[in-house]
Amino acid sequence: MFHAGTDFHREIRQKCSQCSLQELCLPRGLHASDLEQLDTVVSCEGPHHEGDFLLRAGDPFRSLYAVRSGSYKSYTIDQDGREQIWGFHLPGEIMGLDAIHPERHICNVVALDTATACNLPFDQLSAIASRLPGLRSGLFKILSKNLAQQTLRSRDETAEERLAAFLVDLSSRLRERGFSERDLHLSMPRRDIASYLHLTAETISRSLARFQSEGLISVDHREIRLLDLARLTKRARSETLAGATP
Amino acid sequence: MGPCPHGAQRSPVIDPALLRRYDAPVPRYTSYPTARHFQNAVTESVFRASIASSNEDLIPSDLSLYVHLPFCRRPCFYCGCTRIVTRDASRASRYLEQLHQEIALQGAEIDRDRVVRQLHLGGGTPTYFTDAELASLMDAIRKAFTLDEGVDREFGIEVDPRTLDTARLHHLLSLGFNRVSFGIQDLDFKVQQAINRVQDPRYTLTLVEQAQGLGFASVNVDLLYGLPGQSPECFMATVEAILGIRPGRIALYGYAHLPQQFRYQRQIPASSLPDAEARIRLFLGAYERFMAAGYHPIGLDHFAREGDRLLDALQDGSLQRNFQGYSTHAGLDSLAVGISAISRIGTLYAQNTKDEEDYLTSLRAGHLPIRVGYHLNPDDVIRADVIERIMCHEELDGNAVEKRHRICFPEYFASSLERLEELERDELVERSGNRVVLRPLGKILRRIVAARFDAYLQPENPDGHYSRMI
Repeated sequence: MFHAGTDFHREIRQKCSQCSLQELCLPRGLHASDLEQLDTVVSCEGPHHEGDFLLRAGDPFRSLYAVRSGSYKSYTIDQDGREQIWGFHLPGEIMGLDAIHPERHICNVVALDTATACNLPFDQLSAIASRLPGLRSGLFKILSKNLAQQTLRSRDETAEERLAAFLVDLSSRLRERGFSERDLHLSMPRRDIASYLHLTAETISRSLARFQSEGLISVDHREIRLLDLARLTKRARSETLAGATP
Repeated sequence: MGPCPHGAQRSPVIDPALLRRYDAPVPRYTSYPTARHFQNAVTESVFRASIASSNEDLIPSDLSLYVHLPFCRRPCFYCGCTRIVTRDASRASRYLEQLHQEIALQGAEIDRDRVVRQLHLGGGTPTYFTDAELASLMDAIRKAFTLDEGVDREFGIEVDPRTLDTARLHHLLSLGFNRVSFGIQDLDFKVQQAINRVQDPRYTLTLVEQAQGLGFASVNVDLLYGLPGQSPECFMATVEAILGIRPGRIALYGYAHLPQQFRYQRQIPASSLPDAEARIRLFLGAYERFMAAGYHPIGLDHFAREGDRLLDALQDGSLQRNFQGYSTHAGLDSLAVGISAISRIGTLYAQNTKDEEDYLTSLRAGHLPIRVGYHLNPDDVIRADVIERIMCHEELDGNAVEKRHRICFPEYFASSLERLEELERDELVERSGNRVVLRPLGKILRRIVAARFDAYLQPENPDGHYSRMI
């Protein structure tokens, strides 16, 4: 989804202790000695290519997953056979949280571009977390952030507010990852963004065109340049989770 | 005549000797790369995938739609278009039936929020068909696509005065056309005989005037120089007659004599054609007369007067080159239906079969009849942009090219710019920093300037497949 930065495809080591994403991911704030405990249980999945499944709805829950490179989307299929998008996941973000309670995955998780993920077996992760308070509270924070995100997304806002909030949120997540916060290269189709924001594809395009005519952004195929992040943020009106620590 | 806004009463200082020197075959750049580079790797499924992907752009491009109606009752000998000469109405209606099918198939691929801003019916002779047939064609288009119904739309049709009357002009307006383009070529009877296209000059001129009075937003006339038996004197009479009714646009094309390629051109004896010297006089005579009459040259071969949208488009930078010539809407994806028609979606060109039977069979089986095409690589995209600017505008702004494509202009085009030096010496262009400005001669010879940026054209290997410059 995002080819924004220079070293996007930098090699990421399989071990958490050597991973450049550790400050964004689950092990955030853990000591080097604690990280080695995680190293023993983490394995790699992929590479997946655009459209490849990491998880299918109904799969038994065994692990959480962290994006290592590339990006994924998670979605369910509604009664009419349409995709409902629940999230777009960037490097360092955790997927599969919704499966902890039902012990089955609710969402399909599919690669949006060439992507790899870390498999974190949940039993072993829990066992380690019970010994490492830092990891345990990290897990709680990730769960809480996820909940807050879905709550914010379901609030009653205008289409333009929702779309602006989405762009501001993406921008800040990219900045955290060391990419440009102004140049967003999206490879997900517009209908996925529409589905995620509960809007129609037409509304997404119309709103983007309005932002463009107001000088907030410029759009070229699937690239967006944020020309006035401050005004766009004001346009989003509501609080976003920008900058919130996991 | 009012004051000339462009200070062009004096004829531009054009040196016929220089024109002669640059009178070599060069592409007309209705596309880059040109259709000669199309490959058969582009199939129906590639085309469909490309449309599907374009539907998913953040703001999908609006559309231009070209409809090729190749039928003619009798053959004009000069014509190089893909056409079918027949008086067999059933043959034409078989074609029309499958054309409807193709329109429906393409329309089903396109998201409905993408609006057709530009529509062009070309030929052949679109007015070969009856009013009822044209009405049902427009119905099919409206059913398959979302059409712009506003004043900014550009819906045009090529008309043959011999198949037209006042009632028909009214009918075309009622179908939504707001542009009409008259094929005139030359009003001189002897020339008309030699090209097998005899049309009454007075009737023709009256129709053009009526079209202007009826409220078409733009009326164009096509003229051809270099025709058999055409003398500068008689051609100037045609030019004067046309200027007498002041159409918004005039297109002045050079006849390309390629009898090996186009069967009917063999009816034109080479000995009856004006020589290179005479062609230059024909062209320059008309060119200078149009300028003096207050017309502004647009791109390669068009002239527009104040009040025509084409001139506005030149001035606001939205002028665009496409397979139909020049148009006023930039940034559209173009769909095309009918035999030999070429679509462009994003970076993909896709061309239909040129064979009538193949076309009919393919569509009867429910397939889009795509046979060849080309996928632009990143270098093609940059060069296509540069070449389109040169073909449309009066200068190429290298700084803007740098911004759009994130390249270093003088480095990227080092060898092109080196090859431009000769054109600088001969006063076709003027360079200052990253700007390349076309001088009066360079505007006439802009194909030569564009060709310097064409990666497929080796200067030491001149190419006989293209028409001559003048």
